[in-house]
Amino acid sequence: MTDASSSPPAIQAEGLRKVYRTGFWMRPHVGLDRLDLQVERGEIFGFIGPNGAGKTTTIKILMGLHRATKGVATLFGIDHRDPASRAQVGFLPERPYFYQHLTARELLRFYGQLMELPGDMITRRTEALLERVDLVRFADVPLRSYSKGMLQRVGLCQTLLHEPQLIVLDEPMSGLDPLGRALVRDLILEERDRGCTVFFSSHILHDVETLSDRVALLVRGQMRGVGTLDALLGGRTQYIEVQVSSVPEALARVVEEAPSETPAVLRLDPARADAVLEQAVALGVRIRSVAPVRQTLETLLLDEVDRARPVDEKRLGVLA
Amino acid sequence: MSRIWALAVNTFREAVRDRVLYSLLFFAIGVLALSLAIDDITIGDQAKVVRSVGQGAVDLFGSIIAMFLGISVIHKELERKTVYTVLSRPLTRATFVLGKYTGLLLTVFVEVAVLVVFYSIFMSIRSDPPGLTLFVSMGMLLMELALLTAWATLFSAYSAPTTAAAFTLAVFVIGHLADDIWLYGSQAEAPSLRMAAHTLYWALPNFELFSIRRAAVHQLAVPWDRVWPGLVYGLGYTTAVLAAAMAIFQRKDVK
Repeated sequence: MTDASSSPPAIQAEGLRKVYRTGFWMRPHVGLDRLDLQVERGEIFGFIGPNGAGKTTTIKILMGLHRATKGVATLFGIDHRDPASRAQVGFLPERPYFYQHLTARELLRFYGQLMELPGDMITRRTEALLERVDLVRFADVPLRSYSKGMLQRVGLCQTLLHEPQLIVLDEPMSGLDPLGRALVRDLILEERDRGCTVFFSSHILHDVETLSDRVALLVRGQMRGVGTLDALLGGRTQYIEVQVSSVPEALARVVEEAPSETPAVLRLDPARADAVLEQAVALGVRIRSVAPVRQTLETLLLDEVDRARPVDEKRLGVLA
Repeated sequence: MSRIWALAVNTFREAVRDRVLYSLLFFAIGVLALSLAIDDITIGDQAKVVRSVGQGAVDLFGSIIAMFLGISVIHKELERKTVYTVLSRPLTRATFVLGKYTGLLLTVFVEVAVLVVFYSIFMSIRSDPPGLTLFVSMGMLLMELALLTAWATLFSAYSAPTTAAAFTLAVFVIGHLADDIWLYGSQAEAPSLRMAAHTLYWALPNFELFSIRRAAVHQLAVPWDRVWPGLVYGLGYTTAVLAAAMAIFQRKDVK
């Protein structure tokens, strides 16, 4: 038996770069810039970033759909350009499209044959998965009559059909209703419990926070942070929330936003909080509560997007 | 091999569940049936004219169906993004192209077989059952369609269906005029014109090398001295075009 600690990681990328040529003049556009990434076996890894950050590009390179301009990547130690590297991978693309002329059963049989699974295993796994995602009633209906949520569930079935060791999901919760999102969340956790590695990108940061063991943040094609949530957010207090009985004029001058209502809630810069609080006490203001508010993934993402904006864009006030 | 077959069966299934294909097929059968009516209005060797029209109809509709299916065979996968969940499996791009091509070929062969069956029935109604030469001629047609389909697959691997249709049609027309292009080049006085015509001749296929229609229409013996070289040429050329399609698709980013 292979020692897990000595086994190659599920995903490893070094210096991955993708330059697209677009428009009539084929102008270069950097989609991904020297990306280093390591996803360990058995972890749930969240991949976040704004639109156009390079998340889907990374996934497409790993899945053999795009060619990297530079850099190397491996899946379980096998070069990602070698189709054999994807033998243990299940992939669900963003907005999955399937052959509309097929029924769910036919589609899963087709994918099973592509994976060269034995016929009886395809049948067994197909039925179990259709049951799991509650699609048995519609298993013989052509996919052209399926709703988006139903297609996503079929997509999950094809991802899990061959019991992969790595699942790559691109925006798996996008456009799903709460029930659909819950199903995806449950399946991700079940697969992790089975020992599978899950690598997923998402805009729904709450789900990323809830599910992920580690998170990577990508902005403008560059990695801006990677680690556990504690490591990424733990040390960062975004602001100090202070509830006060009133905001006298002298205090209003030293806080950025002074609410008019009473009691008032002030949001203080952590670096200046002590000084402001001392002044408030000196002015006879009653302080009802003081609470440091930790940074969330959302605020971290917004901060990093802002940091990554070129100086001229910031000066002109262009939205990132 | 099993992956190629799975892709081929899926492509075949998709094609035969497309209603447009049936419209083309019914229209072709209608034209074949009309060849019976020509019998009554033809002067001279009526049987020969009927055979000629029938064969022409099978040739033409076989080619139309091959082009119609071929021009979008890969592009449709890219456009509908169905390719994402296929190419992310442990299979090579070459396997994908070969699977799609095999499925296409299977569809075209079945369509031609259906037309040949109807043609044979109609000929038998006229008490003029088709002979061996006709079946060998249809075999040569299949070789021609295999090559035409390979070209369509090549164009579909890097261009949209409209562009692929224009290119495939150009190959189809030039391929049938290849001998005339060679003749024109040989007779041209300007060396540049001669070179251009001869380059075109060598670069594009000569579909007339597959034709033994005259022998079939006149119910002559099978001209094997044309059949074997034609098959060797067809197989070699088809392999080369498919290899080019695979090489192009290998480098393509799936958008």
